[in-house]
Amino acid sequence: MQKHAILKGLRPAPQRHGWRTAFDALFYVVAAVAALAFGIYLLSYQNILFLYFPAFLQGMLVTLVVSLISTVFACLIGLLGAFGALSSFRPVRWLTVTYVEVVRGTPFLVQLLLWYYGFGLALANLGFHPDRIAFDIMTVLQNNSLVPDSFNSYFYGIMALSFHYGAYLTEVFRAGIRAVPSGQTEAALSLGLDARQTMRHIVLPQAIKLVIPPLANNFIGLVQDSSLLSAVSVLELEHITLALGAPQTDANAKLFVFIFGALFYLIICYPLSLLTRRMEAKQHH
Amino acid sequence: MDLALQALPAFLAGARDTVIYCVTAFPLALVLGLVLALMRNARTVWLHGPARIFIEVIRGTPILVQLYILYYALGAILAQYHLANMINAWSAGIAALALNYAAYEAEIFRAGLASVEQGQTEAAYSLGLSRAQNFFRIVLPQAIPLMIPPFVNDFIFMIKDSAIVSLVSGTDLTSILSFWVTRHGSNPLPLYALAIVLYLAMSLPTSFVARKLEARVRASLQF
Repeated sequence: MQKHAILKGLRPAPQRHGWRTAFDALFYVVAAVAALAFGIYLLSYQNILFLYFPAFLQGMLVTLVVSLISTVFACLIGLLGAFGALSSFRPVRWLTVTYVEVVRGTPFLVQLLLWYYGFGLALANLGFHPDRIAFDIMTVLQNNSLVPDSFNSYFYGIMALSFHYGAYLTEVFRAGIRAVPSGQTEAALSLGLDARQTMRHIVLPQAIKLVIPPLANNFIGLVQDSSLLSAVSVLELEHITLALGAPQTDANAKLFVFIFGALFYLIICYPLSLLTRRMEAKQHH
Repeated sequence: MDLALQALPAFLAGARDTVIYCVTAFPLALVLGLVLALMRNARTVWLHGPARIFIEVIRGTPILVQLYILYYALGAILAQYHLANMINAWSAGIAALALNYAAYEAEIFRAGLASVEQGQTEAAYSLGLSRAQNFFRIVLPQAIPLMIPPFVNDFIFMIKDSAIVSLVSGTDLTSILSFWVTRHGSNPLPLYALAIVLYLAMSLPTSFVARKLEARVRASLQF
């Protein structure tokens, strides 16, 4: 009994007083009231809200589509980069390391501007026009009205995102492949599988499981970084927000439009980050 | 090459401004992050609730969105009260960087503080130290070495993220770059190369230091 008391004295145990519980409960009441007030705040601008909602939805769709396409390409680049980084041929390894270090050492915005204004212009001088190529292809398919006006922005924006996140995913995939115990590779090789089969059937399936949480984290980062594509006139969520928000003459309405745009990002990113954290927690236990 | 040499002084000034943005915003982010981490660890929901909401909202939205809210929306609001000159690229940029990174630093602080064994706290209490003494003299000094590598990493990220102030008429390296690219639109590649070299000159040594520190921390943890 006495020992128990001493232990209790050592560790400041959470002592739940009645008033403290009530005080904590009050927080949820206040939070509910605040949430309600936020809802009323949104509804008090319902004329703007209903007028702009379709545009915001369209912007969110563009953000999601651009992010998904970029993720696919970034995964391909990342996988290629991981094989390059693990390659036994030295120049390939150096090339991969240079790519990863340069991309990770410079801002995404600079890379984006470089793709769009720098490479875009240089390639156009050499006679490469992505918009014309897309238009010609879609003309053959009798759907050329689907090609957006500023197709070059989308093209180079997706290129920039893919190349940027390709470098991050290179590291992710490399760590994932490295994390598969070498005993697995040895067992597969001793069972008579060749190097390619071992990678394809033994190592990669196990690595992918490890890679999913960081991949999801990078996807969240990619969605957020896609907001910078507004700088090269891709009509994604942030571009729409700025275009609709900046001309507002009423300061409060301006604040509302920007907050409304931020909510769309929150709707995309918050569930994803919850999911990622749950997956991470599952893996660690 | 001529163009790059001609642009070098302006670009160096831009790099200096980038460093100023980060060196100002990062300590603010650290202090705010520590406060958020302590709030997050607090027992009462009045502290950890708001901290959690702040962190989730900041981490769920792009930094560009936060910068635009501060620069355009808050700027317009403040203009109503004749405080329009309080919001410019400097103040909005530093505030956006500090607020955004505070949410991330808070998580690092939390992980670092959690990694200090509970036994240390128990020993401190049994020796008669107060809660404040325990935190500042026992827990924090043991947590800091573990937290330095991720902090340095985040500082590199901040150098890169500070490029967004060029979208609100800042004066950092990327702003100078865009300015020069607009003036020399026909031949921008040397300018991009120069900017990339300058950014690498800022980030690569820092990342080298981070790796060294991390190796040292790892080595000291294995006993």
